[in-house]
Amino acid sequence: MKYVIVGNSAAAVGCITGIRKVDRESPITVISYESSCYSKPMIADVLADIPEEKLIYRDEDFFKSNNVELVLGRRAVEINTDSKVVVLDSKEKVPYDKLLISTGAKPFIPPISGVDKKGVFTFTELSSALSFKNYIKENGVEEVVIVGSGFIGLEVAYFLAKLGIKVTVVELLERALARAIDERGSEIVEKLLREEGVEFIFKDSVSGILGDEKVSGVKLGSGRVLKAGAVVVAVGVRPNTELAQTAGVKVNLGIETDDHMETSVKGIFASGDCVECLDVTDGKKKPLPLFPLAFEQGFVAGLNMAGKRMKYLGGLPLNSLKFLPVPVLNAGIVNPPDSSYEVLVNDRFDDKGFYRKAVIKDGKLVGFVAVGQIDRVGILMNLIRQKIDVSEFKERLIELDFGLVDLPQWWREEKLKNDKTAYKDWRAV
Amino acid sequence: MGNKRKLKKVYPIEENCISCRYCEVACTMVHSKSKDPVKAYKLENLLPRATVEVKGSVSLSVMCRHCKHPFCFDSCISGAIQVGENGQVYLDEEKCVGCWNCVLVCPFGAAHPYVTEEKRHSFKCDLCKDRGFPACVEACPNRALVYDFER
Repeated sequence: MKYVIVGNSAAAVGCITGIRKVDRESPITVISYESSCYSKPMIADVLADIPEEKLIYRDEDFFKSNNVELVLGRRAVEINTDSKVVVLDSKEKVPYDKLLISTGAKPFIPPISGVDKKGVFTFTELSSALSFKNYIKENGVEEVVIVGSGFIGLEVAYFLAKLGIKVTVVELLERALARAIDERGSEIVEKLLREEGVEFIFKDSVSGILGDEKVSGVKLGSGRVLKAGAVVVAVGVRPNTELAQTAGVKVNLGIETDDHMETSVKGIFASGDCVECLDVTDGKKKPLPLFPLAFEQGFVAGLNMAGKRMKYLGGLPLNSLKFLPVPVLNAGIVNPPDSSYEVLVNDRFDDKGFYRKAVIKDGKLVGFVAVGQIDRVGILMNLIRQKIDVSEFKERLIELDFGLVDLPQWWREEKLKNDKTAYKDWRAV
Repeated sequence: MGNKRKLKKVYPIEENCISCRYCEVACTMVHSKSKDPVKAYKLENLLPRATVEVKGSVSLSVMCRHCKHPFCFDSCISGAIQVGENGQVYLDEEKCVGCWNCVLVCPFGAAHPYVTEEKRHSFKCDLCKDRGFPACVEACPNRALVYDFER
């Protein structure tokens, strides 16, 4: 058996881990155009001068001890399913028996005039983060405009503000993180960022990038003009499916996979930001470009590639704002779409520095927000994951001391006493 | 997979727990520099890795279950969380960047955030690997914590 993995981030490492649970021997080859296995969610930390070795997610020892051959600095350009080879940009062919496509996502760049000027950056790869850092240093950039107020945009904004750079975030919607968090959460995050000097412009968009060769400013849809020495475009990512398409794999919004993470082409699996993931909160398949989900999908794919049949139990949207001094976590549905959802709130942010919110539907917890005090919120996460009936103790969900004692006794018996903690044990009950 | 792991871990027995919190104190103390319970809490600002929960007459001490499928390991973006040979889940506090993913995904609430001005990282039960025997079990006066092979 010969395993090949295209990509070298969370899903790839999950896949290696999964394969090696079952098959200790067969060779694994990892192909990546990047030069190391670094942590994608940590790239903005380069702005805070984090030592580069701290960005390493898995070091050489990991690959060596798992008998993985690394083919780095090479791009996989085509998959030939007849001869079962991956063709590299060097024309070299890498044969596979089982293949994982974990090609991630690429930044979405809206059609803005002048977006190809020097000084416009995206922020999804270490190389782009480093070139941005060099650019602002070499050009003595004092003002930066961030397009989009998602997690990447806000993190970059925060670190730039810390460096004393004037940052303006331009967001089309009416608040920051609008797609990820609830209104109160946005309000708190905006307040914390404003305190660092970040400015926000909502309900407006960047319609043009100004400047000759290099960026000198931006023009907004409202007509307003902002001075800017650099622009960061961070309005989301799209699954990177180009390689998959060369194999004739079925692609919708992302690569389509079955419950075992196998694509429409037998023997080819896919995981991570390039796929459509089952969202357990609504049962729909959609791109959910999140690190923990990528790892898990890769892990399950790896098990299946090595012959151990295991179903992926789905994922749910989850986020942690890791750059702010105040932790901000959320999971599942935090903005109930209609009145059939029950919302419980414990907002003591202004006097005690914490905020909790729980969203319940048909007696089940479907989402929560936790700001400030976040200890033990994973228990809530699992209530969503296992779809446990919370009717009996729902008012406790938003208390800081909510714990396992609040859960039904059978749950503690099963999980604590009988150690039902394998992957399949965490499915809905 | 499928084979029983040779893993010893700490089992709470809620019928025996009297919520005395000796386990919490012992845990904090042995993970401190001073090895002194008062200094550990008051000067080193440490927190216990075991959490005593109380609700009416029910109480129990909860710590990392070293899950067969550790969600914390999946979600760790820095590589700080690693799984040992027998399934022990370890967290390297120096490597941890405090992204709080493990706090967010742990079904037992056993990965905790540590946030001060100087430091931010998660921390959790390490089975007292440097010590050889879990301090919480030793400190428990009523056999509400036992150190035993995984079931």
